[in-house]
Amino acid sequence: MKNSIQVTKKLALLLACCMVIFSCTEKLEENDGQLAADDLDFTISEDMVLPLVGAYAAVYSRGWEDPLLIGVRGDDVNAGGLGDQQPFADTDLFNYDNGYWMYNQIWENFYGDIVRIISSGETIQSYKDFATGEYIDRADQYIAECKVLSGFTHFQMSRLWGDIFIIASSDISTELDNGVKTKAEVMQYISDLMDEAIPFLPDARPNEREDVPAGVTKYTAMAIKALANLELENYQEVANVTGEIIGSNKFSLYPDFYQLFKKPGERSNENLFELQFSDYNTASGATNDHLYAPFGPSNWTPVVEGASGGWGFYEPSLKFIKFMLDRGETTRLRTSVNFTPRGIAEIMMDPAYATLPSLVSNVTPDGDIFNDYPRAMFGSGKHYLPSIQLTPGRTRYGSSKNFIVIRYAEILLMYAEALTQGASGSSMTADQAVNMVRGRVGMTSLSGVITDDVMDEKFAELAMEWGVRYFDMIRLNKYDELSYEGRTFTAEDELLPYPQNQLDLLPLGNN
Amino acid sequence: MKTKISLLLMLFFSFNVFAQQMEVNGVVTSANDGMPLLGVSIVVKGTTKGTSTDFDGKYSITVNSGDQLEFTYLGFKPVIMTVTDQNVINVSMEEDSESLSEVVVIGYGTQKKADLTGAISTVKAEDIEKTPNSNVMQSLQGKVAGVQIVSSGEPGGSPTVRVRGVNSFLAGNNPLYVVDGMFYDNIDFLDSSQIETISVLKDASSISIFGQRGVNGVIIIETKNGKIEQKPVFTYSGYTGYQNAQNVVKMANAEQFTTMAFESGSVADIQFIENAIQRFGRSRVNPNIPDVNTDWYKEILRVAPITNHSIGVSGGSTNTVYGVNASYFSQDGILDMKNDYERFNIQSNLEIKLSDRLKIGTNAIFSNATRYSPETGAWFQAYFAVPILPVFDLANTEATPIPFSDATVLGYRGSQNPFPVMTFNDNQVKLKRVLASMFVEFSIIPEKLKFKTTYSHDYSTASERNVRLPYFISENSQRERSSIRRAEFSSSNQIWDNTLTFNQGFGDHNLTVLAGSSYRDEQFNTFAATGNDVQGIALESSWYLNFADPTTFTNQVNEIGDRFYSLAFFGRVEYSFMDKYLLNATVRHEGDGRFPSRIWETTPSVGLGWVISNEDFMEDNGIFNFLKLRASWGQLANGSLGGSSGTRTVSQVVTDIGDVPTNGILTTNTFQDLKREILEEINFGISSRLFDNRLSLEVDYYIRDTKNLVLPREVPITAEVVFDNIGEMRNQGLEIAANWNQTVNDNWSFSVGANIATLNNKVTQINSEQGFFDTGSAEFRQRLIVGEPVNAFFGWEIEGVYQNDAQVSADPTAQYELSENNNQLVPGDFIYKDQNNDGRIDAEDRVVLGSYLPTLTYGGNISISYKQFDLGIAFSGQTGNDILNRKRGEVIFTNDTNIDAEFAINRWRGEGTSNSFPSSEGRRKAWNQKMSSFFVEDGSYFRVQNIQLAYTIPAGKSIPEIKLTCTAERPITLFSYNGFNPEVANGVDRQTYPVPAIYTFGVNIKI
Repeated sequence: MKNSIQVTKKLALLLACCMVIFSCTEKLEENDGQLAADDLDFTISEDMVLPLVGAYAAVYSRGWEDPLLIGVRGDDVNAGGLGDQQPFADTDLFNYDNGYWMYNQIWENFYGDIVRIISSGETIQSYKDFATGEYIDRADQYIAECKVLSGFTHFQMSRLWGDIFIIASSDISTELDNGVKTKAEVMQYISDLMDEAIPFLPDARPNEREDVPAGVTKYTAMAIKALANLELENYQEVANVTGEIIGSNKFSLYPDFYQLFKKPGERSNENLFELQFSDYNTASGATNDHLYAPFGPSNWTPVVEGASGGWGFYEPSLKFIKFMLDRGETTRLRTSVNFTPRGIAEIMMDPAYATLPSLVSNVTPDGDIFNDYPRAMFGSGKHYLPSIQLTPGRTRYGSSKNFIVIRYAEILLMYAEALTQGASGSSMTADQAVNMVRGRVGMTSLSGVITDDVMDEKFAELAMEWGVRYFDMIRLNKYDELSYEGRTFTAEDELLPYPQNQLDLLPLGNN
Repeated sequence: MKTKISLLLMLFFSFNVFAQQMEVNGVVTSANDGMPLLGVSIVVKGTTKGTSTDFDGKYSITVNSGDQLEFTYLGFKPVIMTVTDQNVINVSMEEDSESLSEVVVIGYGTQKKADLTGAISTVKAEDIEKTPNSNVMQSLQGKVAGVQIVSSGEPGGSPTVRVRGVNSFLAGNNPLYVVDGMFYDNIDFLDSSQIETISVLKDASSISIFGQRGVNGVIIIETKNGKIEQKPVFTYSGYTGYQNAQNVVKMANAEQFTTMAFESGSVADIQFIENAIQRFGRSRVNPNIPDVNTDWYKEILRVAPITNHSIGVSGGSTNTVYGVNASYFSQDGILDMKNDYERFNIQSNLEIKLSDRLKIGTNAIFSNATRYSPETGAWFQAYFAVPILPVFDLANTEATPIPFSDATVLGYRGSQNPFPVMTFNDNQVKLKRVLASMFVEFSIIPEKLKFKTTYSHDYSTASERNVRLPYFISENSQRERSSIRRAEFSSSNQIWDNTLTFNQGFGDHNLTVLAGSSYRDEQFNTFAATGNDVQGIALESSWYLNFADPTTFTNQVNEIGDRFYSLAFFGRVEYSFMDKYLLNATVRHEGDGRFPSRIWETTPSVGLGWVISNEDFMEDNGIFNFLKLRASWGQLANGSLGGSSGTRTVSQVVTDIGDVPTNGILTTNTFQDLKREILEEINFGISSRLFDNRLSLEVDYYIRDTKNLVLPREVPITAEVVFDNIGEMRNQGLEIAANWNQTVNDNWSFSVGANIATLNNKVTQINSEQGFFDTGSAEFRQRLIVGEPVNAFFGWEIEGVYQNDAQVSADPTAQYELSENNNQLVPGDFIYKDQNNDGRIDAEDRVVLGSYLPTLTYGGNISISYKQFDLGIAFSGQTGNDILNRKRGEVIFTNDTNIDAEFAINRWRGEGTSNSFPSSEGRRKAWNQKMSSFFVEDGSYFRVQNIQLAYTIPAGKSIPEIKLTCTAERPITLFSYNGFNPEVANGVDRQTYPVPAIYTFGVNIKI
């Protein structure tokens, strides 16, 4: 009996132990060390800028391969990088392999950004739900900005692949169930999306914005709308929108064409949209930089010792250089092309170009010397930052340089083209628009311009920039222009094939 | 009341005192060789009274006539002698490696080996000690059927351990290590000499009591302790030796490389070679190649020492046992940089019987290690670095502080030379780990009902210091600013276990019931900061963040942390009837905070056994000494999945807005309601001993299914990965382990052991729209397909290489390529198999090319003893696995770098030269760079795992027992794979630290 009491006591002790354990069970519902989206305090309205900045960060963080692949197929530029990235060179020759890593990477880069932008817009909406007064308007503006960024990324995707998925909400599976939309549907979607956004956006130049300097404005949205309508060959709409941008009198051409693409041209009155990068004028510490090395020379003698060169990709074509020489271009040729001695010799091998103007030199206007390297004969000047403009202490090629995406010159030339294609415009004549662009770089005025003149002007003005040339040529079916230096371009070469990885992953047919 | 009991006890004892007391003495020897045995425990049965033998095997004890003396000694059959009237009792003990009474450590207790119904293998301390390595698990390679060990060559590195295949995709394959009651993922902090026993729990019924962490198998480790009434035994063991890289891959030399470059037709590449000739001169042997021929692997490798010392003492008195051990281990890496590992461990065990009913014990392990991590990228760089580049380039006068060469000078995209990072990077990690545990055991009803509570706490820290010294080699290979990254990782894990064990025999029935609870709390925290521009960077004494420029800390400080809790209740019944019919049943009910929608999960298991040899009809059968049939079934829930798998999360970003670094947030919307993976297993087994106990044979066959298989699913479009219950997977296999022990005569004895395990891993269900699931990278596709092994390599099958133009024009697939894709194939390009015969090579022609999992693993050993000599030879191997030679495949990212000699020599270079390698020109074409059978190679190997020769000087009057050993670890490995090493854990060989051969000399002393 005594024994059993003893046992009972022990069991009571055990029970007490168990009680202690049970009291721990509530711990099982804790989630330490995480910040869930629902844990954000949406009542703090001033925080609604955070997801907007996140959306900009997504768009700015471009992979090095993005601008290269977008532009490489034009007759203004060759792959360069000889001996390296053979499938990239093959792409330049219109031989596509859908297993090539670059295609898949760029698909993922842009779509990943689209989803981040959409999620940011939805997070801003959550802030808006708790906002009052002017914060409601601000939320509307931020949401509209996300739409512009989404429009831009959809635009780049559809240009490359034609028919793509439209992603309008973060409910991805529903969006995928809607299937791919034709390129025309995507462009119309972008145009409509810009119409939705425009009423809520600031009526200002991007560089006039104080809350988000160089962020998108009403005019950025209009520019993207114009680009989408250009792809749709809806020239009257192009003329209307670009005419409105011109008529706003907000924008002007930056006087120094060369410096426009260097640090002085950052956030100039010409820029409608630019990707921002900076080392914050510090010699060390964190930076937000784009990797410009692919554009750089693999052998150079920079003015600033220790400044890094690059990989020698993205080589301006002989066709472009000769085209510019034929026109007597000086500023734009010097700005667009960096010459190596080997490249100069190559031009001169053509008897028609046996004597070259003195501006054709392997020393840049800022004194950096481009030496011979086997990868390429020329370097892309618009992606070059003089070594003397590097922040002291920084050595990466092009460190801290912004990446201009849409500028006023392109707006003027889109307007001019639309008029030559038969649209009517209210701002100025096509001649005036073209001559404004020409005037900046000291080219004589033209009169009675036709579409071909405008396209030549775009070639000279916008070469090496975001594939403008290539996409113009395929829009106008000028396959003969793309069939240059041994290439043959046919209609089926217009689009990149869907990446094999995406074909395996998505309900896609071959495009 | 109390006094009454005491009085009663006194009476009882005093009664004993009046019995006939006498002193008994004698000598205990080994029946094998007649040598005296030191430290044999002698206990008067039914009491705690006892003693142990001295150097000469002598003992003396005061007993009563009629007492029974029980002689026990590890590895020998116990002997019971009844004291009559003789004063001298000499005992000769027989060796017993597989004794019936052998006890095996199982979850929360022990069980007689004869009563087991699951699949549990044990490994003895002496087998572990043969392997010179920092990690105990390495010594299990080839020793346990069904346990695959993939070695790591890195100093202080941990091998990959797989118990019965791959059971979870996401949770990794690490088994759960239970070290003196504490849970670990990794036991790299333990020294081999500290270990008493290792039990490998393989089947679900054995594991299930450990619950959610045990899904990949459980390895229970008990550290060394003394024994009751054991005189102090001092041991020293140590070895020293060196490590040498084996099977180094031969790379193309300068001549082969130059030939390849010329044949490639790439103008740039030919120019680079010209550049090298201009810079470094022409070879006098062959004027077309540069006067440089660097064998990069040879340059970065070195012979590296390895050393271990351990010293310990253990013993016990009537009420106390203790064991204390200290050890030191040091190993240099074979990569020629600051790359080594050094560890100092102390460990102590103490158990005290406070009364007949109350026992307490405590255990502590402290491990203090420093590791200098290798720049593993150097192995990768050495593969690709061109042989026409020297290590040093004296013409590079601008370089500082050391004139290393740089391939960008020749025109290549990368600097290639691995030496700058090897020289100017310093990666120190200081690892400190304390495991402290204590238990209280109380007999509520003596011998019947016992309560035990155990608390264990593991506190571990890792202090990382990554120093980056400034240097300048060229514009493209430089580090202007020094930096220091400091990271403090700490984890604090605690477990509190309570168990109640009831044990009762009723005639032929024997019952043990266990009920318990386990509370677990695990947290970790990482704090890291980086600073630049360190003052006095040349001196290690200033390698502190305080000397860095404080303005550079911005955006370079971060912290992450996590904490989670788990609570479990469990019970087990062990029942045997007449020692013939066995039943073991377990249930565990466990709650885990990582599954918010379903916190609690219950998993049962049951095992049955039939000891046929105890049946009457088997008596005196002349063959079987022991024969048992086993069957078990069990379920396990897998809770070891990441904590963030169930929420929409927010992350911080910084971007440039108007030249101001601006904070923003990004939200990911990837919510998934995850269920736990459930592993279900059936195991059938036979345990037997035959031919006078000489042959022991264990056979197991298992089928284990993983249900609700969690896979990292890439959400299309988003580039986000979420975890999802997507499929089911099955592992099945047969395991056979056989050992033959025989003592031929007094001088000769030998044993032969072999084990073999098959593994059939396959995906049995995939719930996705496509019906398959892609893993790996897009360029090197791996895929889960129903009926195929997990992560199978997936791509095109090569039929051969086009030999001539006629062959190309006759091949419809080549013609299709030309007409549809504008792709002119030429001789020297691959011929792919048109699997569906539709006249074109496209995605539909892809097939499974192989699996990284071996279908067969095996091991064996032969031990021969002659007088004082012991010779042991162990071997191991595997077949049926494939390796993706991703080094060759990297050509898709950069194609002008070096290639292995095998490729360079065997390349296609004209009709009839090769039907398996493309031409040098073809190597650069996308057509030949597809994921194909060319890159997937056979990963089989056979290895002589360990050879050890030992000589033992027996203990004498004035000298202790001394054992001298010479060991060769992994001296020979035979394989066909074209890489350093066929041991590639996940089968994708991009860069692995080569596994060296180790040669050591060792001494063991026992006093």
